[in-house]
Amino acid sequence: MSEESGVALESATEDDIDDQPMLKPEEPSLPPGEWVQKNLFSSVFNSVLTILTIVVMAFAVRGLLNYIFSEERVWSAPATNARLILTFAYPESQYARVWVTVGLLAVLAGTSIGLWAQWAGVSAKKLCFWSMNLGSGILLAIVLTQPGVHRDAAGEVLRDADSAVLRKSFATAMSDRLVWWIVGLAFIGAGLLAWNWLGEMRRRTIRVPSSALIFGSLGLIILSLWIVNYGHYAFSDGEFIAISGRTVASTTKQPWTVMWLILVGSFFLGRRISQSQRAVSVKGLMNLAWLLSPFIIYWVILRDPSIDYSHVWTTDLPIFLAFAIGGGAILWLLSYPGIGEAGRLAGVGLVVVAIFQFAAAFTGWYPMLQKARISFVVLALVGLAASNFSGERSQRVRFVGVWVVLMALLHYFATVMNSPATVDVVSENFTGGLTVTLFVTALTLMISFPLGVVLALGRTSSLPIFRIMSTAYIESIRGVPLITILFFFSNILPLFLPDGMDIAEFAAIILGYSLFSAAYLAENVRGGLQAIRRGQYEAADALGLTSPQRTSFIVLPQALRISIPPLVGQVIGTFKETSLIAIIGGFDLLRIGNQVIPAQTQFLGIKRENLLIVAAMYWLITFAISKYSMRLERRLGVGER
Amino acid sequence: MNKRFIWRAIAVALSFTLLASACGDDSETEATPTTTEAAGEDTTTTEAAPATTTEPGDTVVPVQDGGTLQAVLDRGTLNCGVSGAAVAFSETQPDGSTTGFDADYCRAVAAAVLGDSTAVAFVALTAAERFTAVQTGDVDVLIRNTTATQSRDTDVGMDFAPTTYYDGQQVMARESDGFTGASGVADLDGAVVCTNAGTTTEKNISDAADAAGIDITLTTFEDYDIVMDNFISGACDAVTTDGSGLVGRKAKQEPAGETWWIFPPSPLSKEPLGPVTGQNDSVWLDIVTWTVNATIIADEKGVTSANAADMAANPPDAEVGRLLGGEGEIQSAMGLPPDAFLNVITQVGNYDEIYTRNLGPVGLTREGSANAGWLDGGLIYSPPAR
Repeated sequence: MSEESGVALESATEDDIDDQPMLKPEEPSLPPGEWVQKNLFSSVFNSVLTILTIVVMAFAVRGLLNYIFSEERVWSAPATNARLILTFAYPESQYARVWVTVGLLAVLAGTSIGLWAQWAGVSAKKLCFWSMNLGSGILLAIVLTQPGVHRDAAGEVLRDADSAVLRKSFATAMSDRLVWWIVGLAFIGAGLLAWNWLGEMRRRTIRVPSSALIFGSLGLIILSLWIVNYGHYAFSDGEFIAISGRTVASTTKQPWTVMWLILVGSFFLGRRISQSQRAVSVKGLMNLAWLLSPFIIYWVILRDPSIDYSHVWTTDLPIFLAFAIGGGAILWLLSYPGIGEAGRLAGVGLVVVAIFQFAAAFTGWYPMLQKARISFVVLALVGLAASNFSGERSQRVRFVGVWVVLMALLHYFATVMNSPATVDVVSENFTGGLTVTLFVTALTLMISFPLGVVLALGRTSSLPIFRIMSTAYIESIRGVPLITILFFFSNILPLFLPDGMDIAEFAAIILGYSLFSAAYLAENVRGGLQAIRRGQYEAADALGLTSPQRTSFIVLPQALRISIPPLVGQVIGTFKETSLIAIIGGFDLLRIGNQVIPAQTQFLGIKRENLLIVAAMYWLITFAISKYSMRLERRLGVGER
Repeated sequence: MNKRFIWRAIAVALSFTLLASACGDDSETEATPTTTEAAGEDTTTTEAAPATTTEPGDTVVPVQDGGTLQAVLDRGTLNCGVSGAAVAFSETQPDGSTTGFDADYCRAVAAAVLGDSTAVAFVALTAAERFTAVQTGDVDVLIRNTTATQSRDTDVGMDFAPTTYYDGQQVMARESDGFTGASGVADLDGAVVCTNAGTTTEKNISDAADAAGIDITLTTFEDYDIVMDNFISGACDAVTTDGSGLVGRKAKQEPAGETWWIFPPSPLSKEPLGPVTGQNDSVWLDIVTWTVNATIIADEKGVTSANAADMAANPPDAEVGRLLGGEGEIQSAMGLPPDAFLNVITQVGNYDEIYTRNLGPVGLTREGSANAGWLDGGLIYSPPAR
């Protein structure tokens, strides 16, 4: 009974809220002249501010444009090194694995968007605005960018006697950019035409689906790979290839085209499923797939472990069966409805034994496989929670079934992680570039999120022991800089481990990031917890909910919803903090742009171009995350309810 | 009964799994490929192979039981520590391959031991972690433009193979400011000299300025690309670092219409760079040492990658014959195949070939430098192979 009430409450707070296009009463749009007067030049002070800002911005934009389009820039450095930036030294012969990874992510992303997204679409009015803004932006850039330089037939920059570059006149430069004038004016014209043709009412009611816009613009970018002469920059057989007047290599454009098709295809698949009966279970499966994907991608697809099957038959499989069957039996007993306090006591006993096993490992008392020890901890923790899952026979069967699946996953990944990789890569960290940045972020968030929530609950708990421990943890981690923690985990932790125990650099890094991030997440969640009114607790008590039920069905869903803005801030922070990997010896995005590429004889000292590209990549991903969070906030009504 | 329940249960359980597998299992992960599989590993405390944890700075640590040579032979690849970001010495190319002078010496050692110059796993190391990597056996040999010094040889616990490149700190300044290749530190009076922070170059130049009795303004920047930007823009009158670095910068970054000079002719400091191995594994040190020596002798005797096979068939003299695996060869006594150095020369080349291939493009010439052969007035010299 309590189960049902919990679900009912939860369904009200979770994803069933439609994000229907609500036509808010909108202010009638002012004619441009009046709008400008009302918003930019309403008073003398405002006018001065407006003009000042425009001047400052024009200079800044001009500086950036001149920098980007300067004849001194060597954009071929990041272009030639695109692979290094994305995957570091992942061997070319194994590149199919990278594409499988991207394809897998495309399937997951496409299906998820199709399943979940209930985007309101973008109004025609906004589209007209965007088109006009884009057009004016292009025109502004054409005028602001300084004229190009004179070049001789071989493409060398011509210089005068003082070896200063010879620039073209303004008029020549403008006529050189004729194509861009046409493009810019076309965007403005299209926007204006559509604006007038549609009229006030239709501008607001006609909506273009966001998915069409996103997939369409991605498609346009990929189409441009086939048409526009971005230049072919590559490195093969020790030779640098730089052909500026052609499209990118077919090894770039073909796979990306396939990826786009997969993305769009799985979007329609997701759409289809979302209207069918199976939507709920497929959604669950997708969640599971997302959760497992970093592990499968990193340890199975990219590393291609060579599994020692004789070891599997003699050791791994028996241990798995022992835990699956033996553990399953224990859990079956513990979830028996009438077991009462005895079950709790047995669970606590299991935890004590599990802790003892680790203590024994550190002092070297008795030999035991690490895998078995960890499985036992998981068993103890699940056993502790078993009484919450007691009930009818079918429910207990499912509970034990989940346990067996869990053990299968745990033991499979343990085996895979312990098998040596067959893909030879430079550096211990196995991968680098954007890949390592994304993996560290994803794994860190996966580990630190549950930990952070637990810490937040601990800190607000009424039990002093939990409160003191959580507070001590949070305050001591927050009192130490992240880089110190990373140094600790990569350099000092291995010295603390007992003899024969070793921790991989990558694992150490992720552990360091996770523990750090968890402390901050905990404080964010605690902020949310404190915003829950007393009445909510009292209402839950009045319904007869137990304390765990109250927390998980009433308090946490609301607290997490309130904490979305700071939580997303933390996600973005973690993503950007991965650049600290460079300091402890990893080859992340930043280090490749900052140190590796400038050390190539061909591109000696070429650094700023790479850094600009790296910054743009960071910005794009961060922007996407924050856009998504804004959408999420709107959907969950953060700050409105 | 209801699906939410199951998914919630899975979510709870999975978060445990993720935590557990992240904390515990991958701790054993990448230890396995780097160390030899010990028999009966399952009865030991953990599954991890016995990688000894050592304190950095600990002296005299046996790197691996049974010697590095056996470990390399069992593994079938050589783990070679390089920088991965050192111009002309070890560069990471756009396809992820590693090239350069140091990288080629890694290949030479692999060719000698395994007969295959491609059987190298390059491990890119930072300056801070390089010696620990040797001590823990993460790398078999460290060829990462590392200067041989007394403290590193003794206190840090490293063993040094012969020097492959004699470097030294020099200064670079503009001709328009009146500097020439024959200028000395004394000519820098009143100049703004720039270098990167936290290195010995900073101390060397101020010591040299004190010794010459001049005043210089020393400005330091975080990394050398910024130092060069300031030199080009005119904020610095002179820059100083190792000569090899300056030559590379001059070749690549000297603007049209300007001339830069590198001086003084005899450097401010001695920076002999060479391969490094772990302390007290003399079998392994001998192999690395004689691989380097073999390339030097081959250069001296005119054995190149092109003619090595012919020379092995018809040796011009007994020493070349021995070196290339002919009668009286000594390689077998070192635990190597007789044709080990023949493989080195055919697959990688002699000293001059390695030098010219990698350091030539950045403008470093052997002629007249300390890196010329001893017969040409340089320091590159090998004991005889007999």
